Formats: sequence, structure tokens, C-alpha cells
Amino acid sequence: MTECLTKTNKKVLTKGNYAIANAAVIAGCECYFGYPITPQSEIGEFMSGKMQELKRAYVSAESELAAINMVIGACSTGAKAMTSSSSCAVSLMQEALSYAASDELPVVLVSVMRGGPGLGNIYPSQGDYNQATVGGGNGDYKLIVLAPATVQECVDLTYKAFYLAHKYKNPTILLADGLLGQMMEPVEFTDYPYPEVDNSSWALSGAKGRPARVIRSYAPSADDQCEFLKRLHAKYKLIEENETQWEEFNTEDADIVLVSFGSPARNTKSAMKQCRKLGLKVGFLRPVTLYPFPSKRIAELAQTAKKIISVEINMGQMIRDIKLAVNGKVPVELLNRPVGNPPSVEEIVERIKKESEEL
Amino acid sequence: MEKNFIIAGFGGQGVLLAGEVLANAFMLDNKNVTWYPSYGAEMRGGTVNCEIVMNDSEDVSSVNKNETDFVIALNQASFDRFLPKVKKGGWMIAISTLVDKIQSRNDIHYFFAPMTKLADELGNVRMTNILSLGILANISSLTDADSLVKALENVIPPHRKNLLPMNINALKIGYEYDLSLAKA
Repeated sequence: MTECLTKTNKKVLTKGNYAIANAAVIAGCECYFGYPITPQSEIGEFMSGKMQELKRAYVSAESELAAINMVIGACSTGAKAMTSSSSCAVSLMQEALSYAASDELPVVLVSVMRGGPGLGNIYPSQGDYNQATVGGGNGDYKLIVLAPATVQECVDLTYKAFYLAHKYKNPTILLADGLLGQMMEPVEFTDYPYPEVDNSSWALSGAKGRPARVIRSYAPSADDQCEFLKRLHAKYKLIEENETQWEEFNTEDADIVLVSFGSPARNTKSAMKQCRKLGLKVGFLRPVTLYPFPSKRIAELAQTAKKIISVEINMGQMIRDIKLAVNGKVPVELLNRPVGNPPSVEEIVERIKKESEEL
Repeated sequence: MEKNFIIAGFGGQGVLLAGEVLANAFMLDNKNVTWYPSYGAEMRGGTVNCEIVMNDSEDVSSVNKNETDFVIALNQASFDRFLPKVKKGGWMIAISTLVDKIQSRNDIHYFFAPMTKLADELGNVRMTNILSLGILANISSLTDADSLVKALENVIPPHRKNLLPMNINALKIGYEYDLSLAKA
């Protein structure tokens, strides 16, 4: 069933990976380049059929390196193009992402995280928070990073990834994990809800009737590079002001604020609700954009909360951004699973009970 | 209200498919539902399971539960593995043709049915997975045969639609299976 394009206003039960792929098609993705890797192979599988059917471009690339560079090529013409991959293979794309950021190209990368470092394993993980938000490429660049927590959000944030990438001419990552990729939930595929971005002022569309354009990642003069970096970072500031997205519940009077993104945010929110029933003052905040990170809001919460706990499936990566935001005001602790399924609701509740006693 | 289900058995028994059908039925009942598989280096003949979490609130389901309301165990390894996970007062629904009817816990309900035998009598032993869903629906009253039939129509791909009548039959045989027989 999920093999068909489903742009209906009816709910269908779909896997996260298919949801992402179908949403990309609806968003108008014209080119998909990819190389298979678990746990996101269904994205390429879906695209291999659907893109051909719609007479759009699908290339099964010879490597991840080739795939991301093909995306750069397609994006430089203003096309909506994407690739998808996972952890150790996203590592291979870091150089290209730095170039794409410097070239200001609307690259869309779907990263469905698995266990690492190295080859790791194929279980769910959030070990690439740093890889996505800090990056492994050279230079002062930022990528927009969106983190879904449900299959419906896999759809909604895929739409948004294409929009933001083109709006800001900036590479954008949809950062999911193996659990979300393999999970099925009822979703609705609406029409693409964003306006089309005009790229006629910069796209390499053929120089007939206009001066030739060059997109390059090279400024031989020191002054030029200074100016370029200032302009690039003014853009990042704009992104931070306009696009920071999060959701929060019961934070107003919370002694303990739980912060979690992606699939573990589900159990974290349930745990918060159970704690409230027990009379514990617990709140919950979920960053939807990891870059830009909701630092300002977390700093505000640190004025009233007594403790912040970061719930992650890694050895503690987002916790650094929380600590930077909190700036020593209150203690920030970690509740984590190194890899695999998220901490259970009961496990989180137990931890909060213990932390509450120590407040 | 949130209820969760584990369906477990051998790779090849249609465990994941049965879960997908159940999840579809809950969706058609306008419930919130989440399905996720155990996955790893799975292979045909190895063990495989999926979990389905259903809730009738607006909330997103939590995952990776410590306890389970209903388990369908389609082989001995799954029975042994998931018996301790059944919630107090929950159900272990097991395939009596492949599982020893030992009831080592007295705080849960057991239900043993000769599912492979029933499916075989129907004409295709591979219908065991869908037959077990009928039994589950009858025991749990959380969905019904109508929703499951519609779910089957959703899940079975166009080129396999010839198998739909037999699957519907299996579902009905499971749904109408006399619950009192299982005590014997």
C-alpha cells in the first residue's frame, strides 16, 4: 500500500521511511540520489519506483560521496534535490556538506541515525546529534536540522526541510532515527503547505540572455572571505530569529524540566504526565529544530526550574547545548541509553522521583 | 486508555504482517496507534516480533514498554521470552500446537488454541497469523472482525488480492473460536 503515492486527506498507516520519501515527492523533489544503508533503505526503494513513474530523476549512486555531490550539482541549478543515508555513511558526506553550506545550496539530506561510532550497528541511536548540528566539515558553517518525533512529523518536517533549504539557500538535515524510520503510524499527506521559493536570481539555469554565473566555494582574498563569512553568519542569525521551533508542556511551575528530541521525546512526555499525576512539578520541552536550538527559551526556564534533565539515546550530546544555554544557572543531568530503544516511561519516572527527593 | 500488544514467532509466520493488520484496524477504529518491529540481523526461521501500542487519547504513544497487555506467541521461544512481560491481569495467547501448555504464572490469563491445526483445516497453514488476530479481537474486545477485514483489504497488496477471501475466513474462524475450548 505504501508503494503508492498517497496524497489524500485520508489517514494511511505508513512507515517513517516511506512517509519521508512520499512527503519529499509531494514537496516537489525533482532528483533523488542515494546509496542504500539500513535503517533507511526504504527511502531509496520507494524513490526508485516513484521517481521514475513521475519522470523525475533517480540515481542509485556508486557511493554516498557521489550521491551528495550529485545533490550539489542538481541544487546548483535550483532544483529540489535530496539524498538520504545513515550515520557512518553520512560521515562520508561531511566535506560536501561544508561545500554546500559555503556555496549556499538548498541541499536536503535525510539522516536516519543508527548505532556508532564506526560501522556500529543498525539499532536506533541519536549518536549523530553532534554530526548534524556541529558537523564534520571544515569552516564556520551551520546546517538547519529538523528532528521529527512521530511519523506524521516525518511528513511535516520533510515538507519544511525543502522549504527552509530553499528559503535560506542552506543545506538542511532531517534527523530521524532507526526507530522512527521503521515505525508505522497513521499519517495524512496534505498538499505541500509552503510557497515555492524563487531561485531565478542565482540558479545556474543557462546563461542565455544574461551574464554567466559562478557558484564556488573559494574567495582568494582575505577581505572577501571575511565579508562572505559575515554575510553567511548574518543569515544564520536570521534563521535563529525566525525558525527556532520547539514544543513545551507544564514548564511554567516546573522544578524539573525534561528536554528530549526525536523518538525518546515520546516516552519523556508520557513520563512527565505520570509525574504530574504523582504531584511532582515536572515540565517537558522538545526541540523540533536542533539548529537553530531553542537556547533562549531554555535559558528562560533555567530562571525558574531547579534542574534540567536531558533524555537522549547517546552518551550525552544535546546536553552540551542545554548547558551552554543554561550557563551554569542550574544543574543539567543526563538520562540516556547509549544505543537502542529509548528509556522506558517507568525508567524516566523512577529517575525523576529520585531527583525530586534530592531537590 | 493505552493498550499494547506483542506479536511474536518465527520469521516467515507473518508476525509483522499480522501486526500491521492489527494496527490498521485500530486506525480504522479512529484510535491512535503505533507499530514497530524488533529488527536486527533477522532471518527466516529466526525469532521476530513487533509491538503495537494503541491509545484513544490525542497523545502520541510511548514506546519500549516494560509490560504488555496482550502477547500472541506463535512459537515456544516467543512464549518463554515474553511470558515475564505480560502485565498482571494481561493475556498470553499462545499456539498450542507449538507451545507447551505450562502455566507458570497465576496472575495472568492464558489462552491456548491449536492455531496451525485450525488454519490447516481451512486449507492453508500460513493463515495462522491472521487467525490469531481473530482470537485476539474476540478476547480483548478492543477491535472487531469488521475492522480487521477492512484492515486486511488495506494491507494485502493488489497482486495478492486473490488471498483475501481465505484470510477473511481465517479471521472469522479465529474470531468465532469458542473461548471455553481453550481451558481444556
